[in-house]
Order: sequence, then structure tokens, then C-alpha cells
Amino acid sequence: MRINFKHEWIETNIGLMLVLTMLAISVGGLVEIAPLFFINKTIEKTEGVDVRPYSPLEMRGRDIYIREGCYVCHSQMIRPFRDEKMRYGHYSLAAESQYDHPFQWGSKRTGPDLARVGGKYSNEWHVQHLLAPRSMVPESVMPNYPWLMTLLDQSDVADRMKALRTVGVPYSLTEAEREANVKKFGEQVAEQLHIPDANKNLVEQANLGNYDGKPGVSEMDALVAYLQVLGTMVDFTKVNEDELVHSR
Amino acid sequence: MEWIDWFSRPEHTKPLALLIFFVTFVGILLYVFGSKKRSKRLESYKDIPFQDDAPDNKDLSDE
Amino acid sequence: MAITTFSSAEQYNFDIVKKFAIMALVWALVGMFVGVYIASELAWPLLNLDIPYITFGRLRPVHTGAVIFGFGGSALFATSYYVVQRTCQTRLISDGMASFTFWGWQTVIVLAAVSYMMGYSQGREYAEMEWPIDILIEVVWVTYLILFVGTIMRRKQPHIYVANWFYLAFILATALLHTFNNLAVPVNLFSMKSYSLFAGTQDAMTQWWYGHNAVGFFLTAGFLGMMYYFVPKQAGRPIYSYRLSIVHFWALGFMYMWVGAHHLHWTALPDWTSTLAATFSILLLMPSWGGMINGIMTLSGAWHKLRTDPVMRFLIVALSFYGMSTFEGPMMSLKEVNALSHYTDWTIGHVHSGALGWVAMISFGSLYHMIPKLWDTKLYSTKLVEIHFWLATIGVLLYIIAMWISGITQGLMWRAFDDFGNLQYSFVESVAAMIPFYIMRAIGGAFFLSGVVVMAYNIFMTIREAKREEAALEAKLAVKMAGLGA
Repeated sequence: MRINFKHEWIETNIGLMLVLTMLAISVGGLVEIAPLFFINKTIEKTEGVDVRPYSPLEMRGRDIYIREGCYVCHSQMIRPFRDEKMRYGHYSLAAESQYDHPFQWGSKRTGPDLARVGGKYSNEWHVQHLLAPRSMVPESVMPNYPWLMTLLDQSDVADRMKALRTVGVPYSLTEAEREANVKKFGEQVAEQLHIPDANKNLVEQANLGNYDGKPGVSEMDALVAYLQVLGTMVDFTKVNEDELVHSR
Repeated sequence: MEWIDWFSRPEHTKPLALLIFFVTFVGILLYVFGSKKRSKRLESYKDIPFQDDAPDNKDLSDE
Repeated sequence: MAITTFSSAEQYNFDIVKKFAIMALVWALVGMFVGVYIASELAWPLLNLDIPYITFGRLRPVHTGAVIFGFGGSALFATSYYVVQRTCQTRLISDGMASFTFWGWQTVIVLAAVSYMMGYSQGREYAEMEWPIDILIEVVWVTYLILFVGTIMRRKQPHIYVANWFYLAFILATALLHTFNNLAVPVNLFSMKSYSLFAGTQDAMTQWWYGHNAVGFFLTAGFLGMMYYFVPKQAGRPIYSYRLSIVHFWALGFMYMWVGAHHLHWTALPDWTSTLAATFSILLLMPSWGGMINGIMTLSGAWHKLRTDPVMRFLIVALSFYGMSTFEGPMMSLKEVNALSHYTDWTIGHVHSGALGWVAMISFGSLYHMIPKLWDTKLYSTKLVEIHFWLATIGVLLYIIAMWISGITQGLMWRAFDDFGNLQYSFVESVAAMIPFYIMRAIGGAFFLSGVVVMAYNIFMTIREAKREEAALEAKLAVKMAGLGA
């Protein structure tokens, strides 16, 4: 250590300071983030975990969820505690948000967690609750969302799916991709993921579900379709719990 | 190349990283506070904020 | 004195500092008003008024954006331009670039706020701005970096003062964080909507790496730069230990980047990551407190200033809150504590003890010091500073006490079981129990906001007086010149 280092070298040389500061602040992020992209254990791949990308209608519903800032008050990440299991269900798996661009785990529960809200309440309940929360839950502090009854903008559904495809969601554009999806998710799901049929699929699902009980496809249809699918893609009766514990 | 594997094991990486960081930290501390002469030199820079006040105006109360 | 400052106004670009300083105050008023409003929305949901643009979900990013990037950002721009010029004893290298950062940054804040109300959001906390705004931020920020580094390169003083290191780390880290956290693919060139490049777990990790380091570098390192200049200047004595500041700088810069994942305890993020983050969070206590001690001890031997000088009191109380929240933070990063505190109002309280107690107070102190110097005058009223100080202090205390109680109550209610092993409370019972504390929080916020109103008035009068004095001086000078000529 007799190289006579002087901290003044750094203190009088902005170039050196820039480089060393950059080094110092880069290490932490690199060590913690980079491995997540390489370690294959980050996302569970076991029996019963059949997570699929969202259908066009659900995808649009998710966009509305983000637009209204629902994540500000609702989390989508159940932790492995007894009370959370009783209140919300099985703890959330990484696999369940693998197609979520962006993730919506949230950081605050002003309202309850929504990771497994799908199927818990009827469509009618959701519609009424979104329009006037206090008519269903008197103590609620949630805003009313009457404007969700307006018609859904369907002009760029395919573009949205294409963008999601670019970032890695397996929506299919070509016949070959569609067949790959058939193998991976089955015929029925693969149909929903096919971008050329996006608008047709969206309208069909909205009409079939008729979530808001009104003709036409409203934003409400899309949002409720999204809420109703949350947390329903993993069949925990088939999951081998021993294969999950690695993450906790 | 087997020696590289040794580093890739978490049970080796963690204490090793801790050791490196800790030694660096102690090194910095020793460097900064270790020598009287160096200390005096390093402390001499703390007056910089006052150097652009009026030349003979050495009263530091800013009122 | 008047003569030296007159010449320094020639030597330095103070115009840009003045603009940013005033906008810092404007955004403080706007952002904190929105804050009080959304706090009230939680207490009285009627206030959402069924208007989409002002529902809690859309206004909350308006609040965080206006206070963090509007108020905090403008205060950082103002003080960094002031400090770098005065400690390098040179003018900013380009007035044009400086002006661009000003108009660019203000545009960013306005566009962000309007776009959130319109419903354009990336859905990432504190990074809700959609891609066109992100690109503008990137351009402004690179200009800022070039301007700052360029000015340091032109310095007359061989040594780079420690405050500038912190500003530099803040600028660099923000560039890094902003770039990587906002990688996204737009729906098409004419659409405001984009989708994050990452998904799920990786996305969560990237976002909280950003989220916590926005706190670590934007809201801490930058403001420590402020501390290292304005505390010594206001105290009239140099920083307690320059050597400590060297250790402080490298330790803080290195360690902060590790801690983001403590926001993701008990989630689907691999356990090792959040445990590592918690370890570094605890270690971080050392540099944080090192910095606090360095700031507070600067006053050693001149403690009476705390009694006589309310500006000094702002600076020192800010450091105390900094010490408190940097103790609370590591504690909340412990997995067992986090199990209780996460998802509750405790987190909100913690953020505000940092944001109001540390960030806002150190900014107020610095602005009170800097603004009279910029306009070459004295503060209009020290009494009003005193009043502001008390309004702010009471406001913060009301706020964080309310959030402590509500947060811990929430956490305990959620995990309470009755004798039969069933959940004791439904979720909505915990919501109902929060209402009194939401009201108390809104009142605390209103106190803090009214303090800023007092400050704005004080600063307005200070500047007006300064202009009047200047006009009087010029008139006198003109008369003298005329007399000489005759």
C-alpha cells in the first residue's frame, strides 16, 4: 500500500470522480437485479400453474385499472402469513404476474388486496360497487367511478397487443406463433391471444359475459372482466407446495 | 478453472463479499483518519465555501 | 457588502437560480395543496366529487410529482447552480443551457400533472410519467449533467468542494435510475400509452430499485449537497469534519443502491434479494448518521444560534428529522417489522417524516439563506420565519403521529384472530378505524401548507423591498451623476 494514494486525486479531478461515483452506485443494482433475469427459479414452473396472458378485453380492463391509479390503494401481492391466507387466499406466486407489464403489486392497502379477487363477487356486485362503493360497503372511502359506463375505446387494441408482444407477452401475429400458443395454452386460449382477431374476440367476450348488463362494450365490461380473472389462473389443489417454498 | 466455481457458491460469495467490503471500508477509515498530517491537509478544504466572500471580509457572520 | 454582491451578480448567473428558487416555492404551494386535498379525500370520500380528473387515484401522482420533482427538483436545481458557481468561483458555462433546463423542467412538471389527471400513467410509483415526458426528462437531465460538470471543469478553485460531490452523485444516479426504470415500448408513435419492458418480479425489482434510490439520491444525496453548503454558511463556520464527509460520501453512494428490495419483503421476489437489501439498509444507518452528526456538530460552540436564528433552526431540525427517519427506515426494513408495517399508513408516515421533516425543511432553510443573497437584501421578516418554523414543525408532528397510530392499528387489526382462530376484523372495519387519523393527517398537512403560505408572503415582500431599494439607489445615483455632469 505504498503507492501514496491521495484522495485529492479524486477531489481535484472531475473525470475520475465521475467514474468512481458511477462505479460505487452501480454495484448494488447489478448484483440484485441482473440475477433475476438469469436464475430460472425466479418464476415457478410446476403442475397447476397455468398462467396465460390476458385476453384482449381483460388487457383493456387492466389499462383502465392503471389509468385510474387503482394500484395506489390496492395491492396485488399476498404475503405468506396466516391472516393473509384467510383473508385473501394462497400467497402470490411470481408466475402469476409474469405477463404483467408493468407489475401491479402495489405498496399500500387503503383498500383490500386484489390479487385473488377474481370470482369472489358477482359481476353485478362489482358494477354496483364501482359505480357507488358506499351503496355496497357503507364505510368504504373509495371514489365513485360513474364514467366507467362509457363505451370502451377499441381503436388500438391490436396495437396494444403488438406492443405487449414486443416486450415478451406471447400474443401471436403469425400462424406459426398461433400454433406454438395452441401447444402451450390450448386451442381456446390461443384463439384469444391471436392479434388479428383481437377486436372480434374482445366484443365476443364482452357480449358473452355482459358484465355491466347493458348493450355495447363499456369500460366497465373491460375492468370487471379483468378483476374477475385476477388470481384464478393457478389451481392450488394441483400445486405441490414443496416446489414453491424456495421463494420465501 | 475449478477455482472459479468456488466463487459462484453463495456460501462462499457472501462472506467473501462481506470481507472485501469491510476491508475496503476499514481501509478508507484508516486512510482518512489515520495520519495527523493527512488529516490536517484534508481538513484544510472545508473553508472553500467562505472563499468567495469579500476578500478581506473574514467575519463569517453572514448578516 | 453591497458592492461585493453587486460584482458577484455579474460574475455568476444568479438569474437562473432566482427562477428555480421561485418555482420551488410555487410547486411547494401547488403540491402540498393537492396533498392536503387528497388527504381530505380519504377522510371524506365525497370530495372526489365524481369528477374523473380529481379522484384520489389520479391526483396522488400529481401530489407526489409536484412535491418531489416540482418543489424538490426546483430547489435542487436552484441550490446546485448557486453552490457550484460559488464554490468553483466561476459562472455556469452556458446561460442558454441553464435556461433550457429551467423551461424544460417546468414543462415536465406541468405535462406530468396534466397527463395524470387525463389518465395517462405508467402505473409505476413516482415514475408515472408516460414515455414522451420521460424522453424530455432525459434530455433536460443530460443537459443538466453537462452544465454542472462543465462548470466544475472551469473552476478557479483547484479543489471540488464536498457539496458538489453530492450534487454530482444525485445527478448521475437519477440519470441511471430514470433511464432503466422507464424502458418501455409505446403502443404507437401517436399514443401516450406504453408498456414496461419488464414484467412481474423483474419489473417490481427494477421499480423499487428506482423507487428507493429516488429517495436515496434525489431526496437525500441532493439535499445533503445543500446541507454541506448552507449549514456551514448559515452557521458562519466550516463543516464539522471534512474527513467524515469523505467517508459519508463514498459509503452512502455505495450502500444506498442495495436497499430498494426491502420494499418487497415477503413477496414473490426471491428471498435472498430482499434479505440482502435489509442487511444494507441496517448498514446504511452508519453513513446516514455520520452525515447528520457532521451537519449538526458544525454548530458546536455556537448553539445559541438555534435560539436566535430561525433559519438555522430550520436547517438543524431538518437534520434531526433526517436522523430520525434514517433510523426508522432500517427498522422498518427488518422482515418482522416489515410484516406489520408494510401496506399500512406507517410507510406513508415514514416517507413524510423524511419528505416534510428533512427535504422540505432543509430546502426552506437554504432558500431563506439564499434568497436575500440573490436579491442583495435582507429577509423582510425574521418573525415570519419563526412562525413558519412552528407551523411546519407542528404540521410534521401531527402528520407522522397520526400515521404511526393508524399504521400500527391497521397492521394489528389485519392480523388479529379471535378465540376460535378466525379473523377478528373484516377489512372494512380497519378502514373505518382509520378515519379519525386521516382527519388528523389532513390537519397536519394543512398546518404545513399554511407555513409555506407564510413563507411565500415573506419571500414576496423580501423581493419587493429589494426591488424598491434598488430603484431608490439608482435614482440617487442618477441624481449624483447629473450633479457631476453639471
